[in-house]
Amino acid sequence: MKTELTERTRSSKLWRDIKRHKAIYLLLVIPMTYFFLFKYIPIWNGQIAFRNFMPRKGVLGSPWVGLANFTEFFESFYFWELLRNTVMYSVGKLLISVPLSIILAVFIYECRRPHLRRIVQTLTYLPHFLSWVIMYGILLVLLAPGDGLLNDIIKFFGGKRLDFLTNVNAFPWVVLFSDAWKEMGWGAIIFIAALMAIDPTLFEAAMVEGANSWQRVRYITLPSIRPVIIMVVLLRLGTILSGGFNQLYMLYSPSVFSVGDIIDTWVFRGLQEGKFALATAVGMFKGVMGLILIVVSNRLTKRASGSSLY
Amino acid sequence: MKKTLVMLLVLLAVLMTAPVFAAGTVETAKPAAPIDIDLWYGAAITEAGPPPSDWVGYQIVKDKLNINLKITALPSNEADQDVKISAAAAADNLPDIFMVRRETWLRLAGQGMLATVDDMYAKMPIRTKVQYDADSIGFTTIDGKSYGLASPGSIAKNEGVLIRKDWLDKLGLAVPKTTAEFMNVMKAFTYNDPDGNGKNDTYGYGAFIEINNYEEGLGRRLDPWFGAFGVAGTWNLTKADFGLNVRKSAYYDAMAYIKSMLDEGVMDPNWLSYKKDDFRAAWKQGRFGIMREQNAAFAAQSNYAPFDKNFPKGEWIIVEPPMGPTGKASVGVYTQAYRIYALSDKVTAAEKDAIARLLEWMSSDEGYFLLGWGVEGVNYTLKDGIPVATGVPNAEYAFTGAKGQPVTQLRNMVFYNGQVELISRYPTYKAEVSGRTMSALDVLFEMQKKAWTPNIGGDTLPPPSTDLKRFYEQGVAEFLTGRRVLTKANWDAWVAEFDKLGGKAWEDTAREKAIANGLLR
Amino acid sequence: MENPLAIKTIKVPTVVRMTASDRIFALMVDSFLVVLFFIIAIPLWSTITLSFRPNHFIGTNFEGMFLVPWKWSTAAYKALLGNQGFLMAFWNSIRIMVMGVASALFLTIPLSYSLSIKSLPGRTLLVVIVLIPHMFDVGMIPSFLMVKDLGLIDHLAAVFLPTAVTTYNCLIMKGFFEGIPDELKESARIDGASELYLLMKIIIPLSKPIIMSVGLFYAVSFWNDFFHPMLYLNSHDLIPLPILLRNILMASGMNEFVEVSAFGEAPVQAIKAASVFLAAIPMIIAYPFIQKYFAKGTLLGSVKG
Repeated sequence: MKTELTERTRSSKLWRDIKRHKAIYLLLVIPMTYFFLFKYIPIWNGQIAFRNFMPRKGVLGSPWVGLANFTEFFESFYFWELLRNTVMYSVGKLLISVPLSIILAVFIYECRRPHLRRIVQTLTYLPHFLSWVIMYGILLVLLAPGDGLLNDIIKFFGGKRLDFLTNVNAFPWVVLFSDAWKEMGWGAIIFIAALMAIDPTLFEAAMVEGANSWQRVRYITLPSIRPVIIMVVLLRLGTILSGGFNQLYMLYSPSVFSVGDIIDTWVFRGLQEGKFALATAVGMFKGVMGLILIVVSNRLTKRASGSSLY
Repeated sequence: MKKTLVMLLVLLAVLMTAPVFAAGTVETAKPAAPIDIDLWYGAAITEAGPPPSDWVGYQIVKDKLNINLKITALPSNEADQDVKISAAAAADNLPDIFMVRRETWLRLAGQGMLATVDDMYAKMPIRTKVQYDADSIGFTTIDGKSYGLASPGSIAKNEGVLIRKDWLDKLGLAVPKTTAEFMNVMKAFTYNDPDGNGKNDTYGYGAFIEINNYEEGLGRRLDPWFGAFGVAGTWNLTKADFGLNVRKSAYYDAMAYIKSMLDEGVMDPNWLSYKKDDFRAAWKQGRFGIMREQNAAFAAQSNYAPFDKNFPKGEWIIVEPPMGPTGKASVGVYTQAYRIYALSDKVTAAEKDAIARLLEWMSSDEGYFLLGWGVEGVNYTLKDGIPVATGVPNAEYAFTGAKGQPVTQLRNMVFYNGQVELISRYPTYKAEVSGRTMSALDVLFEMQKKAWTPNIGGDTLPPPSTDLKRFYEQGVAEFLTGRRVLTKANWDAWVAEFDKLGGKAWEDTAREKAIANGLLR
Repeated sequence: MENPLAIKTIKVPTVVRMTASDRIFALMVDSFLVVLFFIIAIPLWSTITLSFRPNHFIGTNFEGMFLVPWKWSTAAYKALLGNQGFLMAFWNSIRIMVMGVASALFLTIPLSYSLSIKSLPGRTLLVVIVLIPHMFDVGMIPSFLMVKDLGLIDHLAAVFLPTAVTTYNCLIMKGFFEGIPDELKESARIDGASELYLLMKIIIPLSKPIIMSVGLFYAVSFWNDFFHPMLYLNSHDLIPLPILLRNILMASGMNEFVEVSAFGEAPVQAIKAASVFLAAIPMIIAYPFIQKYFAKGTLLGSVKG
């Protein structure tokens, strides 16, 4: 087989590879048609970001306006602050919620008490189903300046009541930890699925060699789910300019706009004034930024660990 | 025998087909097939479904008006309605006639997506008389042409300043009149245990941020305090002193007063975190003794019941709004709210005629009662000329019952806040526990008697830019939370920055618009 | 998989003793999970009690958590379940979810599998094609125009087809397929198995945990979707549960306009909380059934055997 390969030219190898995979290409016809219809037609329509979109004239008939929709965003009084807040929440969640999900998954995997494991796994999955409207209610119960649970405790120990939800110093932490509370169990599902694929004989071998629990986690468990972790982190980096619209729209209020307003909430308030092309333009901007970030970080991880998105 | 049978059968066949022929001849005499009209309406009862497919209304509309009516309920939330209509408009897919909020309507009109309706008013004499007066037509008129039909929305001046009478009595206090007296009462409500439960768990004033385009800044729940300083609402619409209230020096005084409420601890500290439901749950729990609330949200049976159960001896009274140092007082600003129904500009002349016929019929006695309450004897009975839900054979089909509600979904298209509606809508009742006689209608009338600031047309003035709006709301909130220190110098600096960001320009464009539309008094 | 409901535990060889550090580790794991249990359970419990709270309850939310069950009121659940349109909306939600998950997996599995074949010419390009829509969210209008052009307005397909493949799920699945040992695939190919056979008979059975997880992700997103039905569906007969619940919540919050008590004894907050639990119940019930596919060492037997 090897000698046969070296005899052939590269182009004929490519041709042979293609021919060898013709069944795969056939398998790809339907998904790719789907992508074309449902993903790329909207992106093509996204050119309204560069046009003054008029429904009667259609996408192609509307006049070009160049970058007007983009400059409206870039020239916003709050542009840099919006960017800062958005990145702050994306990165903050990446640094808090994702590690917590991984820890939870590993601990559920390592736990030797089947009941505890089952109960915690199911329970941590539930908060994902609470909408942010309900979450706001829960946060009020815990954090309201007047009668919040946490404030009662602070007061009990002689402290001063804190207005967590309307204080610019406390608010970002409320956002980050409420997200972790709500999503860590949900986020752990994918890591638990990954852990299930580990070959248990690895552990048996390690134990025979006298490795303790810490070493097993360090040298077997974590390395074997590393590709999934990298994948999840990379994909999240691709949407770094979406900081969690539903959450912030529900939690923020005028007194914490300076730390609570993110790109998507700003766009939403613009949408209420009918600025649809602006929303599309901002979506384009976010896409380009995400693409750059994903390409760069993918290259870095490929160099460092050999895993790659593509 | 057989022959006669055949003869009979033939005769029968002829008899049976005759009506078909007859109907056929009538059909050909009629001008055309029924006209399809596609209507997107705002549901009156969002949790109930649309009228059933065998609803008598469809048949009447088809028989009498030659219209095939197809109706679709808009989403229940205003922001979603905007989204849905905007998306349909972008795809050039608007229905023939649809309800739409003013901001979206304005944009659609600008894009040339809407038909003019000037010629329709004359075709609907009855409806125009009860629904569309000059103010209403002015509300939808752009450059001399009317692009939508604006029906009266919620009733004006339907909110009031309410105070816990039982708390006043318990503490031996008189009804406060001035801002200074109000402050004393609020302090007593906060620190002197007005409910006598031995716990320090009450506050003087309760509110939450509820912002409208004509009630910017801190919103309507705090407007009585701004009213005391003559700066309620976003705009001052007087000829003498037109402008943005926030740019006036009295606004600072009002801010200073509210700040003193916070510093004294008499304001429910949750006010910045409350949403509407939390605020309403809070007064039913007896958390505060003074508030601004809406008549039905306060006094309608289902809304008052929890309070009545919790505090049978509790009593709220409607008082005059607090009077400021210069003798000014106002509950807040009022405007005339409208519900706009607009027509797609793709409607043909025949369709437009049909829509006029439909709307005129809706406002006839037949349409008014059918759409408002359903069928007499099935969905309602008349008592002194007022439709009531009692006395119908099957209570489930009463207009308030689960199966009756769907047939009243279109009622907001015919209601105009007339006497019959109001009495039917806000019946007098006895509160379950205390036995107190309550009537949201009496409450309404009393609220309307208090001092208010007219602001008709204030809601048609241009909105601020997204950034300016945020700067405004964030700024006033930050002065109150202490993130910005409220001093005259800081305030002036903030207003200067506000102007720089477009505040002054906003005021100037609004002035032109207000003068052009004759809004100043 | 002798006992499908239990997650298999690691069989610790008896010759290896638990060392002190192993015990500390086990203690840490257990205490972390116990602490987490309370952190999650307490707020959740307060929401559950909130959904059963009667209208005339006085007291703080903290006191509400200790409300005894015989004082609970089911008015909120009655108000929701008693709605005329509840069954139909529930059925529509089921339809959207089933059709959605079916089409999602039908599209995602072959796509992910193809992308996982390292020797496939043009693979990088294909991954990039899949990746780009993940980042470019062009907003509502461009998508609406597409749905309209495809003639899907007011069809259930408009709700589930546009989101039937998400890049995230697709690439996650691809990552798992890549983890399947190459020798397995190659030996099958050498045996003359077609790619379709390979996918159906080897890859899919080996990837149950990930297919179940991704299926769950899809199911939940279809089940909870409010925005697409709101935008694309007009007929009342087609509306799914999230829309109906939103309409009910809307009505319960519009105190200004409710002249007759439509919700009896239920306070608004209780209806809100109850609606969340009612909507989540099918997903909560489904989870244990999905968990049973999370068995350790799924790959083991096949590689060895």
